[in-house]
Amino acid sequence: MVEAASLPHARPGGRRPAVLPLAASVVGIVVALLALMADLHHPGGESAATIALHVAGGLTYVLVGGAAWWRRPHNRTGALMLAVGLTWFVQDLTHVTAALPFALGDFFFVAYFGFLGHLVVAFPSGRLEGRVDRVVVTAGYLWALGGNLFTHVLFAPAGSAELFVLHRDATQYMIADGIQQGLDATLCVTLVGVVALHYFRGTPPARRAIGPALWASGPMLLAAILLSLPAVIGLAPGLEKAVPVFTPIALASLPIAFVFGLLRSRLAVASAGHLVVELGSSPPPERIRDALAETLHDPSLALAYQVPGRDGWVDSEGRPLELPDQRSSRSFTILERGGVAVAALIHDRSLENDPGLVAVVAGAAALAIENERLQADVRARLAEVVESRARLVTVADQERRRLERDLHDGAQQRLVALALTLSRAGERVDARPGETRELLADGERQLRKALEELRGLAAGIRPAILSDAGLGAALESLAENAPVAVTLRATVDSRLPDQVEAAAYFAVCELLTNAAKHARATSVSVTAHIEDGRLQVEVGDDGVGGAHFDGGSGLNGLVDRITALDGHLTLKSPEGGGTHVEFELPCG
Amino acid sequence: MRVMLADDSVLLREGLARMLVESGFEVLAQVGDADALLAAMDADPPDVCIVDIRMPPTNTTEGLQAALHLRVHHPKVAVLVLSQYVETRYAMELLAQGADGVGYLLKDRVGDVSELLAALRSVVAGRSVIDPTVVSRLVGRRRQADPVETLTPREREVLQQMAEGRSNRAIGERLFLSPKTVEAHVSSIFSKLGIEDTTDDNRRVLSVLTWLRGDSAETQP
Repeated sequence: MVEAASLPHARPGGRRPAVLPLAASVVGIVVALLALMADLHHPGGESAATIALHVAGGLTYVLVGGAAWWRRPHNRTGALMLAVGLTWFVQDLTHVTAALPFALGDFFFVAYFGFLGHLVVAFPSGRLEGRVDRVVVTAGYLWALGGNLFTHVLFAPAGSAELFVLHRDATQYMIADGIQQGLDATLCVTLVGVVALHYFRGTPPARRAIGPALWASGPMLLAAILLSLPAVIGLAPGLEKAVPVFTPIALASLPIAFVFGLLRSRLAVASAGHLVVELGSSPPPERIRDALAETLHDPSLALAYQVPGRDGWVDSEGRPLELPDQRSSRSFTILERGGVAVAALIHDRSLENDPGLVAVVAGAAALAIENERLQADVRARLAEVVESRARLVTVADQERRRLERDLHDGAQQRLVALALTLSRAGERVDARPGETRELLADGERQLRKALEELRGLAAGIRPAILSDAGLGAALESLAENAPVAVTLRATVDSRLPDQVEAAAYFAVCELLTNAAKHARATSVSVTAHIEDGRLQVEVGDDGVGGAHFDGGSGLNGLVDRITALDGHLTLKSPEGGGTHVEFELPCG
Repeated sequence: MRVMLADDSVLLREGLARMLVESGFEVLAQVGDADALLAAMDADPPDVCIVDIRMPPTNTTEGLQAALHLRVHHPKVAVLVLSQYVETRYAMELLAQGADGVGYLLKDRVGDVSELLAALRSVVAGRSVIDPTVVSRLVGRRRQADPVETLTPREREVLQQMAEGRSNRAIGERLFLSPKTVEAHVSSIFSKLGIEDTTDDNRRVLSVLTWLRGDSAETQP
């Protein structure tokens, strides 16, 4: 099975610390019950239905927040929700007759508002993105904690906490209260504006995630306007009666929407099961991506694969691919097999909020993805093979031309000259024996030259010692004839497949030529040995370095020959630091 | 002098046999592969065998194997191995079985009748003959901090002759030097290269070639 695991920046793994959310939830429930008792015993209080709505609104936050915190301990949303629920009940302290609790309840009446603002702006990731978010949320906290304190201490209204009153003036209080409510409304509008901005700027999956916050903040906005209208304009005092009923309902819409979002995610997880059936074992490549994109509601979803013998990632066609970095709006989830990364889902960053979903969906498609990865590997190799085959054909063609030219210009010409010399000798054999002897000696010299050239050509095609005595002996011979001083350490005693011996021999040959010709090296070390059924060869020189694959040094052709035999070659050639080439070939 | 020929090329074999007969040699047998050679040897051993290194059935180094076999089982018979290509490794393998009465020459030398006959006489006389190509390749190869560079041009010539298997007297004749002068050059070469001196000419060939093969030859054969 493919195991899904996201990178550290996506979500840190680890066990869920269940104690804290549980304890906080219990505290929240107790606080809700205490608030209920205080409300019921408050003389001249609200109707039972209103009280029930009020307590239910706060309790929804406590319960949903606790559950969310427990389920996703690394996402701040749950904790924030729970904090909203707890602080919601601060206002009920004003129903206690003792002076100190009353004053606290009065001053921090809307403390919940700071957490609520934080919650909607950071919804659903729990993170604040950017400066505007942070400023707005900080302003919310300051206002929620300091607003009432400021007006009620300085301009105490009738019936407010006598304990801390500095100055009492009903008219001034009316004005201060009006300003405060106006600012309340402004802040509400700003918060909703920020959420709306997030929504309209977001990608489709991000919108799906932010949606609940937006439509929960709509009623919030309405509530804020309703709250401030009577104070600012002094109209319709009857509307004020609606506030205690309307606010908890508007408030509760957010956790309800959140639960709905969770359910939807569960549904998506459930539908992941269909993926297995739908995809079968070998769907066409586009089908996997489409099915995953559909299940995760991310049309831009892409797949990346890791194939053997290649660093980095490739797409399903085997083309190289980069994973998005942390600043990008895209994120990725790595799929592992036996602790090794095999594939990656590149998706919208908003899906990071639901890593479990990505993991389950990816797990369901694991077989198809693995199959696709193998196909990507094959396609990557095929693309390489097509290129290198074309190069090999070209090289073979050039080699044939060169051979033809060398034969024509060398041995053939000498043999023609020899024929001429011999026929001249034949003409003179009776009349001028002295000249004949000279011509014959000439002919012999020409023949020797021709033989020497033929021998050189034949050795260039395939040296006899390679066929006769194997790679170790052939490398020795090569070292003896090299144009540079060669230190050879070869422990290749056994015979290897013909093509392996030839490829290794000509590779070393080429590298020695390069060392002398291009790198201007004075000494070269060559080592060759067999390890785990693979021939390992290293050639290092003390030359000028700076060799690369496109430098006309024949290195490209060399790589082709090595890879054609399923081998592997690495080149290290820093400027001024010598050239070091290592290659290995499987020996059958 | 009685000669036996082993070469799978009939053309070359016949030409060589004709030339040898014309030069007063007795050609006991002409064979085309190693097995036939060994059979003919057991029937009537000659003074010297001329063996092509490449013969059927595998056309690789059958001739060399046969020669090595002869060194062990017929130590009195001299062997001259001919090869289209000369390889130091093969020369060393041959010499390792005892340097007396073995030769290793490039096949082209057959074209030079006097050279070939001289080589045949040398091996029959119990000396060793190594192709100049092998030796000049070894002498001329590049080494780091090369002691060969410290030799005078004349000493280099003497070194080459020595490695080809010639005795001091033969070197003197070739280079027009007195035996005393050759001796002086030889001991100077040995001290410069740090080779232990030996009076045995055949052992001398082996130790000179081994030295020349030097540090690159860490390969196990």
